[in-house]
Formats: sequence, C-alpha cells, structure tokens
Amino acid sequence: MPRVLLVEDDPFVREGVQLGLRRRGHDVRAAGTGEDGLAALADFRPDLLLLDLMLPGMTGVEVCRQVRAHSQLPIIMLTARGDDFDVVIGLEAGADDYIVKPARTEVIDARIRAVLRRMDDGSTGRPAIEVYGDLTIDRVGLTVSKAGRPLTLAPSELRLLLHLSAAPEQVFSRQQLLENVWEHTFHADGRLVDACVARLRGKVEDEVGNPRYVQTLRGFGYRFGPL
Amino acid sequence: MIALPRPRRTRGGGSGRADGPGPAAPSRRRSRVRAFGLRTRLLAAFLLVAAVSAGTTSALTYREARNALLKTAQDTAVSTFRDQVERTGWRLPVEEEGIEEILRDLARTGKPRPWVVFAEYGSVRASSGENPVSSVITPELRRAATAHRYGSFERVVKDGVPYLTIGMPTVFRTGPDSTLPTGLVLYAVMRMTDEQINVDALLVAARNGALPGLAVALVPALLAARSVLRPVRELRRAARSMGSGRLDTRIPVRGSDELADLADTFNESAGQLERSVSELREAEARARRFASDVSHELRTPLAGMLAVTEVLDQDADRLDADTAQAVRLVSAETGKLAVLVEDLMEISRFDARAAELNSDEIDVAEAIRKTLQTRHWADDDRIRTELPAGVRARLDPRRFDVVVANLVGNALRHGGAPVTVHLRTEASSSGTLVLVIEVTDRGPGIPAAALPHIFDRFYKADAARTRSPGSGLGLAITLENVTLHDGTIRAGNLPGGGAVFTVEIPLRAEEASR
Amino acid sequence: MRRTGWRGAEMRRTGWRGLATAVVAAVGVPLVGGCGIQDSDVVEAGGPATVEAFLNRDADMLLFFRSPDGGVSAVIREARPSAGFGDEYIEPGAVTRDPSGPAGPAPTEKVVLALLAGPGEADRAAGLTTALPAVRAKEAVQVEVSSDGGVTARLPLAVQGLDATAVRQLTCTIAYNQAEDGRGVVTLRGQDGAERSGSCGLTPGSPG
Repeated sequence: MPRVLLVEDDPFVREGVQLGLRRRGHDVRAAGTGEDGLAALADFRPDLLLLDLMLPGMTGVEVCRQVRAHSQLPIIMLTARGDDFDVVIGLEAGADDYIVKPARTEVIDARIRAVLRRMDDGSTGRPAIEVYGDLTIDRVGLTVSKAGRPLTLAPSELRLLLHLSAAPEQVFSRQQLLENVWEHTFHADGRLVDACVARLRGKVEDEVGNPRYVQTLRGFGYRFGPL
Repeated sequence: MIALPRPRRTRGGGSGRADGPGPAAPSRRRSRVRAFGLRTRLLAAFLLVAAVSAGTTSALTYREARNALLKTAQDTAVSTFRDQVERTGWRLPVEEEGIEEILRDLARTGKPRPWVVFAEYGSVRASSGENPVSSVITPELRRAATAHRYGSFERVVKDGVPYLTIGMPTVFRTGPDSTLPTGLVLYAVMRMTDEQINVDALLVAARNGALPGLAVALVPALLAARSVLRPVRELRRAARSMGSGRLDTRIPVRGSDELADLADTFNESAGQLERSVSELREAEARARRFASDVSHELRTPLAGMLAVTEVLDQDADRLDADTAQAVRLVSAETGKLAVLVEDLMEISRFDARAAELNSDEIDVAEAIRKTLQTRHWADDDRIRTELPAGVRARLDPRRFDVVVANLVGNALRHGGAPVTVHLRTEASSSGTLVLVIEVTDRGPGIPAAALPHIFDRFYKADAARTRSPGSGLGLAITLENVTLHDGTIRAGNLPGGGAVFTVEIPLRAEEASR
Repeated sequence: MRRTGWRGAEMRRTGWRGLATAVVAAVGVPLVGGCGIQDSDVVEAGGPATVEAFLNRDADMLLFFRSPDGGVSAVIREARPSAGFGDEYIEPGAVTRDPSGPAGPAPTEKVVLALLAGPGEADRAAGLTTALPAVRAKEAVQVEVSSDGGVTARLPLAVQGLDATAVRQLTCTIAYNQAEDGRGVVTLRGQDGAERSGSCGLTPGSPG
C-alpha cells in the first residue's frame, strides 16, 4: 500500500487525483502548498512525492531541491505546462519522472508503480558487489560508494547506474533507457534521460566535462565504461 | 484564425518544385535591357529636341549667312559695275557706232565674274553679247533705272538659273556741283552660279554642324536618362525587396522632383503596409497566444476530471441505466477533450516555433513496429507492413511516432482496410538519399476538392460527418512534425482507388555518422 | 496617342515613324524652305553713275531734245564749230554780245536758235526728236536777265500752243545755258503774247 504525498494547489485537481489514486489502493495525503507538503513529510513519511511544479509561494522546483538535499524519496513531477523548459528545470532539480497533466489515473498509477518498483529490482545471479575503478556498486544493498565514500543517489539515478553497469560497454539508446529504466511505453522526452545522466555524472564522475563511467556516444546513446 | 502571408511550408514535393522557378523567371526577364524602354525613349526625346534646336539654329544661321553672302556678292557687283561705268566716256548724243566695243570692255572687267552689259539710249539698243536686248531684265528694274534714276539690282531666276541684274543710269557733270542725266542706262546681267555653289556649301556646312551637335547632345541625354533611371532602378529593387518580405525597405529620397515624390509615396505606402502587417501579425500572435492560453487553462480542470473518469467508469454499472449512460458519456467526452487540448497545445508550440527536434539515430522499421504495437495495431489484420530491416535514420522518435500513428489512425478511420505501411529509401532528384514512408488504404480516396485542404486544421473532408473520433488536428500536427524534420508530406489517390500519404524525410548521412 | 502606344509592336512602329516624321519636319522644312537663291524685288543701290561726257562749257552748248521714252535728253554740241562743221548754225547777226570776245558760254539767243533748228543728224540717229515747231524767222530771239537771276526769253513762236515737252526743251536749254546747275527760273514769252514760266528740274539728286 504505497503512501503518496500529493502537493497540488488546485483543489479540484487535488480532489480528483486523490479520489482516483485512493480508488486504486494508494494511501494518499494531499497538501495545498509547498510549505505544507514539506511539513507533512516528517509526519506522513510517504513512499513517494507527487509534486505539482506550479505552486503559489514556494515552487515545486524549490520543494524538489529541498527534499533532494537530504533524502532519496522518489519524486514525480506533475506539470500543467507543456513547456519543455519547465520539465528540464524540474528534472535537473532531482525529480525522477514527470507526468503531463491532464493524465488519467491509470497513467499516474503506472508511473508511481514503475518508480517504486525500481527500488526493489535486484539482479539475480550476479555478485552482489561490483567494483569499477573508484566506484563500488552493491546491487543487493542498493548502495553506491566512490572511493569508500557512500553516494546519495536518487532512485532514477541509482536505477540508471545499475542498468548501465549491468552490461558494461554496451550502448543503450535513450529510447531503450526510457523503456527499461523508466518503463515509458509511449515515446517520452529523451531529455528525461539526459537530465538524469547529468545529475548522475555530477555525483560519480571526477570530471563532469570528461566522463569516465557514464559515457556518451553521440547520436546513439549512453554506455558504462570502458574504464 | 487569421490568414496571413506566413512563409508557406511546402506540403507536397511536387507542388513545391513547381512553385520554385515561377516568380524568379519573369524577374530575370524584366531586368534585361528593353529595346523600347524608358532609356531609349528618353534618349529619343532628347535627340529629337537636340535635332530640332540644331536644325532650327542651322536653318536660321544658314539664312542669315546666305543673305550676307548674297548681299556681299550683290554689293560687290553693283559697286564694281558703277566704278566701271564711271570710267567710261560718252559723246552725247550716244552714237551706235563703237558702242559695242565699250560694252565688251565693260563686260570683261566684271566682278566677281564677267557679266553681259546692255546699253539703252533713246532708240539705241546694244550689248556686249549676242542679243542687243536682254530677256532677263524686268520692266521694274528698267523703270527704276529710267524714271527714278537710281542704281538698282534685282535677282531673277530664269529656267532655274539665278541671275543678278543691275540697272545703272548715267549722269554727267555740267559743273563742279551739278550733274545732268545723259539718258544712257547701262545694265549688267550676271549668272549667280558661283553664289549658288557657295550657298550649297553653306547648306552642307550647316548640316554637318547639326550632326556633331546631335552627337554632343547624346552625352547629356545619357546623363539625364541615368538620373531618371537610377531612382527607377532603386524603386524596382525596393519593390522586389518588399515583395520578398522585407517590409522595412525604404528608398532614399533625393531632391524634390517628381521621382522624389514617387519615392516619398513609395516610402509612405511601405510604412503603411508595414504598420498594417505588423498589426495583423500582432493580432495573429494575440490569437495564437489566446489559443495557447485557453488550452493551458483547460488543462487544470481537465486534470481533475480525467483523474476521476476511472471512478465514474467503474461505478457506472452500479447506477441506474440513464445515469450510467450519462456518466459514461461524460467520461468518454472528457477523454476526447483531453486529446483535443493536448493537440491544441502541440499546435501552439509549432506556431510559437517552440517545437524542438530531439533527434536520435533509430532503426526506422523498429520504430514503426513499436508505434503499431503501443497502439495495439500490431496484430490488427487490417494493417499490413512492408518494413525492410536495416533502415536507420536520425529522427525525433516521439515526433516520428506521432507521424506514423496519425497517418495510420487517419487511414483506419477514413479509408478502408487493408491499410499498408510501406518503408523504403530512394535517391531524390538532387542526389541525396530520402526516407520514404507510404501509408495507403483501400477506401474511397480523398475527394479532389478536399486534397488542397487535407492538412488544414479542423478540416473535414466529409462535410456530412460533423465529428470524427480525432481532434481534427492530427494531419496538421503530422505536417508540422514532418516539416520539422525538413521533410515533405503529400496526399493523393491511388489509381485503383484509395488514398495514399507519402512522407519524405532526407537522410543526413554525415550527421548520422558523427 | 494612346498610352499603350509605346508598348505594342504595331503601335511601336507607328510611334517611331511619327517621331521620324517630326524630326524631318522640324529640321528639314526650315532648311529646304530657305534653300537656293530666290527672286528678289528691285533693290535700290545708290545713285546713278557719273560718266565723262566731255562737256566744255566755254565751247559747247547743251541742247535738250525729246527722247523716245517721252523725256528730254541733253545733247552736247560745239558752239563754235570747227572748220567744215556745222556752218549752218552760225548766225553772226544774232550775237549781241561780243561775238569775238574771250571764251565763255555761247549766247543764249544763239543756243535757243540752235534748239529751234531741231535735232541734227546724229541726234536723229539716236532716236532724238523735237517737240518744237519749225521756225523760220531768225532774228526774233531776245534774252533778258533780270536782277534776281530770272531769265526772260522772247521767242519767235506762239508759246500758247506748246506741249509740256517743248516747254521743257526750251526751259532746260535756256536754264543750263545761263547757269551750270540749270536751276534758274525761265520765262518764255511768245509772239502771241503768252508767257510761261518754270524751271528745268532735270537734276537727278545732286551729286555735287
């Protein structure tokens, strides 16, 4: 029974989404502002944050940053604006996925389940701990450390790193990553991948401008290594 | 929607190519030098004026010169004749005997040329020539000489030959201060052939003078033509520049002549045109913003409604029949409304030029198969595919998905089964490789009247059908997406019936290999 | 001209032909019209020519006879004929002044008598005649010079019936005999008692 915290300023949308998700079996708490949402985090301890980008007062992007500062709580952005720019800003702030409003409840539910499922998708038949250069990846404990220092990775970042490192030196196109990592059945924006890669590089790479672990093959996609 | 002269995107490759050379060809023809253009006419007018003035001047000069020439000749002749006569001596009465000898002496000394001298005294008639009496001397000259006793002359043209005739009455001295007519009158008759030649020479000279004058007049004529033609050329260039969309084109106004007025008027009109076009553009931008804002505003309430449609659908079974029907209707229409708003948003992004291309190198056949799969058309027996493997292209996967899905969906809705999706590559006329996707159906085809509008927004080919399952924006969005890929799309009918939509997107080998 | 005159091929040709005609008319007419030498009116160009007539006032006398055109013409005749020439003109009895005196104009009476005798052979050959009647009496000419310069001549003929030419012959002959410019007033008195006065008036302008 996933616990979902919904931060949405429009009462009608708040009601509707709450109603739909409850019917699908989620435990939903709703907040009208970013401040209320942050306050409810400690009390409600949600499994996932459903965050509207356009909020009065503190914006969704700001809320996202504050949450990411000390937590790996999965975050899905709700965006009423179709503007790609906002999506990119939100993704750079640390959101794991996004949903464009209006969306059917089944879509929202599918996204929520996809993001949550990642967290307990362990790999089978592999050594639990793999070392690549300075990076140590624990596929069972789902932790990553660099030179002995643990890294705090957002769920999408961790999932992406696990997926890429499971097949070192294999090139994955953005579409493949969207399907495999984010479980987007419809063609989604490739920049979801780009933003996540950028965030991941910021945490694992020594030089962001000259990546060692997550490499780009222009026009084709991304790959892990070769080191 | 306000129709504006927006740069028209090519919809069909064929029509686009036909448009190309059209406006360029006449302009090239126009720029050639014309045989009877303004320059020629100006030159002709200038030369005419120069010819008239040179001719008139020549004529007047000639007339003056001829008169002066004749006067000199005549005066010389008269004074010479008088001098000659005054050197002669006569006994009174004049005796016929010996007179001819004196006359011949006189005739020999004629100036500027020999003349025939006639003498008349009483009944005596004598001459230096063969006939004692001249047929050239007129009664008027005779009367002037005898009655008025003046020395006088007269030009006579006889049988085309001009003669100068001089009548000279004579007197003798009766004392130091007094004279008395002798009654003797002497006449001189001289052919003016030499003078005629002089006159002819003068005529030629005048003519020769006029021709160089005309040649000299050519220079200011060319300059004048240039000064007139330069503003005209500028005007033409400006008009062409305006026609190609640069509405801020203005002409420098020089001086205050009619051409400057013309330039002024042109600038004014251009200014007005620019103003009204920019007003229209603003109006169009407002309209677009409005459409965009409206769809934005619609999304929030729709978000709430769409979230609860599932609840409605699930609980409808438990309601009574009428309520259930109403609830299902609201749910279904909410879904359609969401699609429509989404499409409107997409169109707004194209209109605002905010649409971006996020290209990836993809396997085209794979992408098409995936599109069919996600729409649950993969196992649909109404759809056949001819997708050769190994065709890779650099495309925006999301947009390409929209293109294929819209075309297939459109064929399924409006055409007849089977719908065929055909993929191939071919070399275009310019030599580059082109990706070609054809979607054909076996339906009734597209009415000829609808073909030009098939990609218009909300255009319904079948007027009887007031609503279609689509938003009415599907093909318009398809067109925009193809255009964003620098591709073309065209609609047509197959010879055997059925519609065919052909998408052509150039393959950029150099980009794909990077 | 139509506005499209310069455009169409047909109009164009007409336009240029019109232009050519205009040029020819504008340039040619004044030139051609003024070409060559034309007839002229009679133009006066100064006075008559003065010729040498060998007049010796001391030896010659001027007689005026009728010329074929109706005017009078002067002839010069020696007053003192040389030997063998003009014997019939010598009328010693008529000379009242000193006939053998120093050279001078011939006596007017003698000159008038010579005139009355009519044109000589040479004169007649040149077509000169006289309007005066033949006179037989040889003594009847008397000339008086009044104090104011006027001359009165008594003539042996009837003055009344003389025509204008005859009067002029007499007047001019007497006047030019009296003065070299012939300007004096002459009164003719005939046997019939009639008198006619006048001046010669033959002077053409006055060159001197």
